[in-house]
Amino acid sequence: MPPLIQFRKVSKLYGSGNTEVRALWNVDMTIDQGEYCAIMGPSGSGKSTAMNMVGCLDQPTSGEYLFDGQDVARLHEDELALIRNRKIGFVFQQFHLLAHLSALENVEQPMMYAGVSSRERRERAAEALEQVGLSNRINNRPNQLSGGQQQRVAIARAIVNRPLLILADEPTGALDTQTTQDVINIFSALNRSGITVVMVTHEPDVARLTRRVVWFRDGEVLNANLAPNDLASVTAAVSIA
Amino acid sequence: MNFTESLKMATKTLSANKLRSSLTMLGIIIGNASVIAMIGIGEGAQKYVNGQLQSLGPNVLFIVPGNREARQLGDLEVPRTLVVADANAIATQVPSVAAVAAEKTTQGIVTYRSRNSNTTIVGTTAGFLTVRSFEVAQGRFLTDLDQRSNSLVAVIGSTLAERLFDTESPLGQQIRIKGITFQIVGLLEKKGSNLGLDYDDAVMVPITTLASRIVGRTSPYGVDVGFISVSANSQAAMETAEFQITNLLRLRHRITDSDDFYIQSQDALLDIANTVTSALTLMLAAIASISLFVGGIGIMNIMLVSVRERTQEIGLRKAIGATQRDILSQFLIEAVILSAIGGLVGTAIGVSGIFLIAAVSPFEGGVSMIAIFTAVGVSGSIGLFFGVVPARQAAKLDPIVALRSA
Repeated sequence: MPPLIQFRKVSKLYGSGNTEVRALWNVDMTIDQGEYCAIMGPSGSGKSTAMNMVGCLDQPTSGEYLFDGQDVARLHEDELALIRNRKIGFVFQQFHLLAHLSALENVEQPMMYAGVSSRERRERAAEALEQVGLSNRINNRPNQLSGGQQQRVAIARAIVNRPLLILADEPTGALDTQTTQDVINIFSALNRSGITVVMVTHEPDVARLTRRVVWFRDGEVLNANLAPNDLASVTAAVSIA
Repeated sequence: MNFTESLKMATKTLSANKLRSSLTMLGIIIGNASVIAMIGIGEGAQKYVNGQLQSLGPNVLFIVPGNREARQLGDLEVPRTLVVADANAIATQVPSVAAVAAEKTTQGIVTYRSRNSNTTIVGTTAGFLTVRSFEVAQGRFLTDLDQRSNSLVAVIGSTLAERLFDTESPLGQQIRIKGITFQIVGLLEKKGSNLGLDYDDAVMVPITTLASRIVGRTSPYGVDVGFISVSANSQAAMETAEFQITNLLRLRHRITDSDDFYIQSQDALLDIANTVTSALTLMLAAIASISLFVGGIGIMNIMLVSVRERTQEIGLRKAIGATQRDILSQFLIEAVILSAIGGLVGTAIGVSGIFLIAAVSPFEGGVSMIAIFTAVGVSGSIGLFFGVVPARQAAKLDPIVALRSA
């Protein structure tokens, strides 16, 4: 089975000449199907850029990015949209739920762009909400839900199109310790069911629950295969450096 | 995403912010209502004028003194080139003409005992009754004899008669017109006003009497007239009549270059009136369209604000798989819904406005289906047109930037 995510000498540059910024520089990175990994690094390390690239929201300036065996670097925007819709589920720090829609309707959104019939949409959205333990909240608006519940709606939305990859950008950044644990448990369960989970986080406690950490610094991968248990030494080293 | 889904989604978004949506629609509502109402009023006016002209009688020609070009250039001085003798000559020498009436009007005080009224005094000839299709209710009309003998007799219109005589019969009564005593010999049947001339509120005297006793001015060629109206033998004879009258008058006036009179048929008047009222309608519609246009700009404005406010939503939608086309159509559909609903409501208001005006004015309510379809279509397209800029802006947003925006 080919790797799900493969970066080959991926660079992302902004500006040119003296003001050129190397957000990513010659990054090689491979994540296999079924992995559960965290992307970490100090701010400005390029981890957000890498994240956007992985999520097909951005394209490299040079190099190749193979997602599920397909070279994303040369695809048209609409083809990227299709990949995001069918193969990737996004979870954001700020949840990004639509305020005027109920939980169920929010979860239905990705299926609308996939052309799923309204009946099937409702069934699948209800199933996804059940999976994250919110069956009794399907008709609530986001402002009638707690932060943890909102993030769970967002996770339901991410999994409803049965993606290959869940991409979570600081998914617990706006949550307290208890709800963080709940949300991470859901990610772990999803990973056990076979979905690849990649999350960007700066919380070592969250990263420790994954099975692999990719460490970024200055636009490069400093350590591509860090065991979560060795994290303490690296963070210590970095903070000293 | 299919169209019905997009439509549902757009209605949901719009109804989430009802106040803003209805305020945005208001511009289109006002614009559309005014376009519909203005076109309706214009068409009503056109029908009204046409009706008035048609009631002049189908075969009538008007012979007006003066040169046509000079009159149209706004020469305010009324020339005195037509005289009663011309009218008599037409009556006796033009075979295609059935009846001839000469008219000359002035304004003056008419008194009966202690009552008086400032009204129109019409000097005319016996042919008036036939040419202008009037009926005598009581008594008789003016005769050729009255004409020749400058008789002090008068025929009174029904409105004026009511005002002066109340319920009394006017026949045989003495009235004073500008201080001269006349005897009333007839009462005209009510006819209603026509092109601003209301013969019901007028008194008619022999044109010779009017010239010699009341106005006191005659042209060197005899008693001058305001205009001569003739009725041709038939609709088919109109052109012949016009030709024969022109020839006769040119001979009589010894004309070598430009005519000192001109002939106007009812058709020609209809044409002129239609040109004028169409231009008026067009002008009203153009003015009203400005407000429709402003309404469109209002929609664009609100949609631009909306794109700003919903940047995060757009970013999210792109992240979960919306293409540029999905976003573009989402915002376009919202704009078109706003303007189309605005258009429909505006049309309803415009149509009721027309009926309101029809109820309080002599204009008929002219609601044309074409105007309605055009207005709704136009306002829909305005939504499309003014929706494009904001929708494109939304579609072009970079999802990364959009998601990060606070």
